[in-house]
Amino acid sequence: MGITDLTSMAEVETEARRELNERLLRLREEASYYCYQCAKCTAGCEAHKLLELEPHRIVALLKRGLVQEMVNSDIIWTCLSCFKCKERCPQKVAPVNILFALKNLAVASGKEVPGDYTAMLTSAMGMGLIQDVQTVTTRGGETRTREGLCLPPISVPTDPAKFQMTVMTVAMEKV
Amino acid sequence: MNKIGVFVCHCGLNIASKVDVVEVAEYASKLPGVVISKDYKYMCSDPGANLIKDSIKEFDLDGIVIASCSPRMHEHTFRGVAKDGGLNPFTVEITNIREQCSWAHEDPAEATQKAKALVRSAVSKAALLEPLEASRTPVTPEALVVGGGIAGIQAALNIADSGFKVHLVEKEPTVGGRMAQLDKTFPTLDCSSCILTPKMMEVYHHPNVDLLTYAEVESIEGSIGNYKVKVRKKARYVDIDKCTGCNECASACRLAGRVVDEFNMGMGKRSACYIPFPQAVPLKSTIDPNSCLMLRFGRCGDGPLCVKACEPGAIDFSQKDETLELNVGAVVIATGYDLLEANRMFEYGYGRSPDVITTMQLERLISSSGPTHGEVVLPSSGKHPTSVTFILCVGSRDETQCSWCCRIGCMSALKHVYLLREKLGEEVEINICYTDIRSFGKGYEEFYRNIRSKNTNFFRGRPSEVRVKKEGFLIDIFDTTTDKLFEIRSDMVVLVPALVPRSDSQELARTFKLSRSSDGFLLEAHPKLRPMDTFVNGTFIAGCAQGPKDISDTVSQACGAASRAVGILSKEELENEPLIAWVDPEVCVGCGVCVEVCAYSARNINDVTGIAEVDEALCAGCGACVSSCPSNACTHKNYTKRQLVRMIDEVV
Amino acid sequence: MRLGLFPGCLMPTEQYGYEISLRKVLPMLGVEIVDVMDLSCCGEPLKSINQMLTLTLSTRSLAVFKKEGLDALVPCPMCHLALSEANRIVKEEEDMARRLNEKLSAEGLDYDGSVALYHTIDLVHDHIGLEKVKDMVKVDLGSPDMATHYGCHIIRPTELGRPVDAENPQKMERILEAIGARSNDYAEKLDCCGGPVLPVHPDTAVTKTGQKLQAVQEQGFDGMVLACPWCHKMYDSKQKKAGETVGAKLEVPVVYLTQLMGLAFGIPPGELGLDLNQSPVERLLQKDKEGA
Ligand SMILES: Cc1cc2nc3c(=O)[nH]c(=O)nc-3n(C[C@H](O)[C@H](O)[C@H](O)COP(=O)(O)OP(=O)(O)OC[C@H]3O[C@@H](n4cnc5c(N)ncnc54)[C@H](O)[C@@H]3O)c2cc1C
Ligand code: SF4
Ligand code: SF4
Repeated sequence: MGITDLTSMAEVETEARRELNERLLRLREEASYYCYQCAKCTAGCEAHKLLELEPHRIVALLKRGLVQEMVNSDIIWTCLSCFKCKERCPQKVAPVNILFALKNLAVASGKEVPGDYTAMLTSAMGMGLIQDVQTVTTRGGETRTREGLCLPPISVPTDPAKFQMTVMTVAMEKV
Repeated sequence: MNKIGVFVCHCGLNIASKVDVVEVAEYASKLPGVVISKDYKYMCSDPGANLIKDSIKEFDLDGIVIASCSPRMHEHTFRGVAKDGGLNPFTVEITNIREQCSWAHEDPAEATQKAKALVRSAVSKAALLEPLEASRTPVTPEALVVGGGIAGIQAALNIADSGFKVHLVEKEPTVGGRMAQLDKTFPTLDCSSCILTPKMMEVYHHPNVDLLTYAEVESIEGSIGNYKVKVRKKARYVDIDKCTGCNECASACRLAGRVVDEFNMGMGKRSACYIPFPQAVPLKSTIDPNSCLMLRFGRCGDGPLCVKACEPGAIDFSQKDETLELNVGAVVIATGYDLLEANRMFEYGYGRSPDVITTMQLERLISSSGPTHGEVVLPSSGKHPTSVTFILCVGSRDETQCSWCCRIGCMSALKHVYLLREKLGEEVEINICYTDIRSFGKGYEEFYRNIRSKNTNFFRGRPSEVRVKKEGFLIDIFDTTTDKLFEIRSDMVVLVPALVPRSDSQELARTFKLSRSSDGFLLEAHPKLRPMDTFVNGTFIAGCAQGPKDISDTVSQACGAASRAVGILSKEELENEPLIAWVDPEVCVGCGVCVEVCAYSARNINDVTGIAEVDEALCAGCGACVSSCPSNACTHKNYTKRQLVRMIDEVV
Repeated sequence: MRLGLFPGCLMPTEQYGYEISLRKVLPMLGVEIVDVMDLSCCGEPLKSINQMLTLTLSTRSLAVFKKEGLDALVPCPMCHLALSEANRIVKEEEDMARRLNEKLSAEGLDYDGSVALYHTIDLVHDHIGLEKVKDMVKVDLGSPDMATHYGCHIIRPTELGRPVDAENPQKMERILEAIGARSNDYAEKLDCCGGPVLPVHPDTAVTKTGQKLQAVQEQGFDGMVLACPWCHKMYDSKQKKAGETVGAKLEVPVVYLTQLMGLAFGIPPGELGLDLNQSPVERLLQKDKEGA
């Protein structure tokens, strides 16, 4: 017994679906099974027009248990996390949070992290912020530093070693 | 020594699949006092009933125990069976081995053991049961109907036609309710006022109907057969007997065209004195105290113009509210519905542009008695719209607003497509954004099919927002039938808002002691089998007060509620429930605690004896007094302390 | 009112204009800003990588605030969202709270959800109050018509208790009125700046920036006002690039709310970091001369 997607021959992954739904429930009741495909999320999705993200389809695929298909797809990295879909969904589903979960799954399964995320992650784990202080230019083309602008020193973890220990262990963990 | 019979029901497999019913019957046969113990597949069936009746005769039983389903299901049945068998109906004890044993337990052995304990306990009580006789009270053969929409009108007419007097209380100056605001009605496209006005006239002229418009129920006491009702008739500031309905006062009023017209859903303006619409019943003017200058400030320019204009001299600023007292035997509540405030869904632009309207506003635009005399125009400019977009399910089927389906939104929008085509011709573009079209009623699917041929653009999806541009609106919609995002440019947007309980439904429920379901509508006693009954005997509900529905369902339900009411009114006397409280006059000290705790006003202290009494017609047998009496003077008949302690002793 | 500052990442490392104007303007309104050490990134920019990491980082910083006995001024909407979510989860989801506190114990910290959060907009509108703001106004700004941009994360999701209404945000508008500016609603008001996809789809990100700026420019606004370092990075720092991407010459002055308030309070532009804005903000300064 079982259900097969005849376009890709993928099997419906009930276990992956259950895990994903449970993860969402651990953070807040945002049960995807209530979605009735009104596509209000997609109609307002900030990433739809330019990047073709269809949040209602993400929810539908999750409901159908085709998790791997999404984890493997680049489309999950297009979400702008504007939260319009969650805000306006009549069934209190949060496609944005499903997308966060899928991206986390992709990273955990060893998929390459796209774009500048790696740099941000390395910096945050190292010095505490996603980037170090920058030198900026004025409209007139002069350079300015944080110090030069008389701003106090930045706030970063005082014991970097301990801080790193904590975040390192977490970076391996699931919600 | 009592002779008790025990009857164990299988309930098909409902009980027998978990509880060993044969063993339970066998066990019961050995209990003290039991002379006969039987099991049977369906004790509530005819053969089951005969088994009980025959046993009563054969063994000369004086008490019986039935081990079956919840007494809420069949207590009535089995009391009847006992009576037919020649036994006092109150010597029947029911113990529930279905909900409490077979349905509650996984393990058959445990379920059987518990069933035996319950039967043992019931048998011990049966030996102590007292035969009771029901007392009787006469019925007041008049009815109260609250709400004069189509539901209330229909219910009142049916009761009146059956020969009983009806008091119809409507809070607005006219009857008609929401149906009076509609232009045509789906699916037949009957003109709403053409089919409603004759009924409105009929309630007005019917000799059995006492029509009380501009009135509200203040309080109600008593119970089935005998309610005492206080009705407040609000001052109209117009002498109804003198007013001819000429409406000259409205034209003369200093505030003419300045007061927001609720009947036209805020789209038109009226005067402070007004007749809501030309077919209003009664056709009498009313002065609105919230706007009238005389009533608010005590003066109106150099004298009220309405007074000057009224030839018969009907205006009377000295009128006061009046309170009437009515005695009725049955009540029908038909207070209808409200519409969700559309700006609760702010993303759809309601309140941001006058050209975003609701379907009810569109009804008023289409109606020839509406603010534009039936011209469908943009409220902002007075021009005809060139593209109209409907958004369905606004706040309906929405966990952030109303979980439920409004049951009329799809059909009303489809109706509007038809009417807009009729009014605006083929030129106008019509778009419908729907989630699912629900066309479940008789003739509805056929109507939907017809509308599909009317050059309508159906988009299956919900827009996320309506963007208000300088000229018209932009609506992005993802259409799941083509899997494409479309941009719709329209100059009129019509929202189909959710149907919600009346804003005062909580107070109403409190006044009439009714329950409400989680959605806030009035709760029926059973959704399938007692859809017009409430948990208050003698009080019935009809129409949208119970939940959203179309006119046909409303009228059917109103007829049903009326016939339930007539069922009571047509009896001369009602039997009182004998399972009520009883006061031991030897013990009672007349402290009055019971009077305070009784929610049914069934208790009072006798002036002469100084001792508490129970009004047998009012007592609902709730037991509040029994548990609060500090002197232990109260008992509940057939739930006496001795009986209950014996039952507990048997099981613990 | 004494508040600890949660600067986040972007403001203290490049969006100096926000920090400078904030440190200037809020004390004038009676807010004492305390610098809190030992903080880190709120974690929100890394939520796509690992949400547990986000939660740990947010909760850790909040625990520092708790230890210091301070409530937090969080000028960045994205940080405000992350910290609000951490607050909610610690308060409502027992299991998660236990797990997070286990992590924190390594650094001798613990957290219970007790730190209150203030973003610039609600701090000024709800807590300082418009009357006090009006009292400080010294300069007539010349009533510029400003397009407001709130930033997605300070208005959504409502469920997390955002300080501003999701569908009809009006608090910035009221503040603008109080300091002598205006704001008309516009259809694109709630649109996203594009910032969050900058790490993965930089071209798309600036296209979104450009589209909204174009709409603002076409509707004749005098400028745009905002209170989010990310959105400012997009609309101000990247305005030129955005214009190139959408093929339009964009010249929309973009300022922080606190910069505009500072101008109205009579602070010289140089002391508000206005020379750091890349968009043509001098137009607004001229406007105030015209008005004066
Ligand atoms: C836009 C729209 C279009 C519709 N079109 C159609 C259609 O084409 N066909 C169709 O079948 N159905 C249609 N309906 C549904 C129809 O309106 C209802 O089925 C019908 O009006 C229900 O009647 P009612 O008597 O239950 O309630 P109502 O019409 O709401 O009447 C209730 C009455 O009770 C009064 N009242 C309320 N509270 C009190 C109180 N406390 N004391 C005294 N009086 C009180 C009110 O003033 C009112 O007169 C439409 C509905 C809408 C919103
Ligand atoms: S997630 Fe919500 S908005 Fe999106 S299709 Fe499902 S129900 Fe509609
Ligand atoms: S949060 Fe992501 S999926 Fe949801 S509407 Fe915004 S961009 Fe689309």
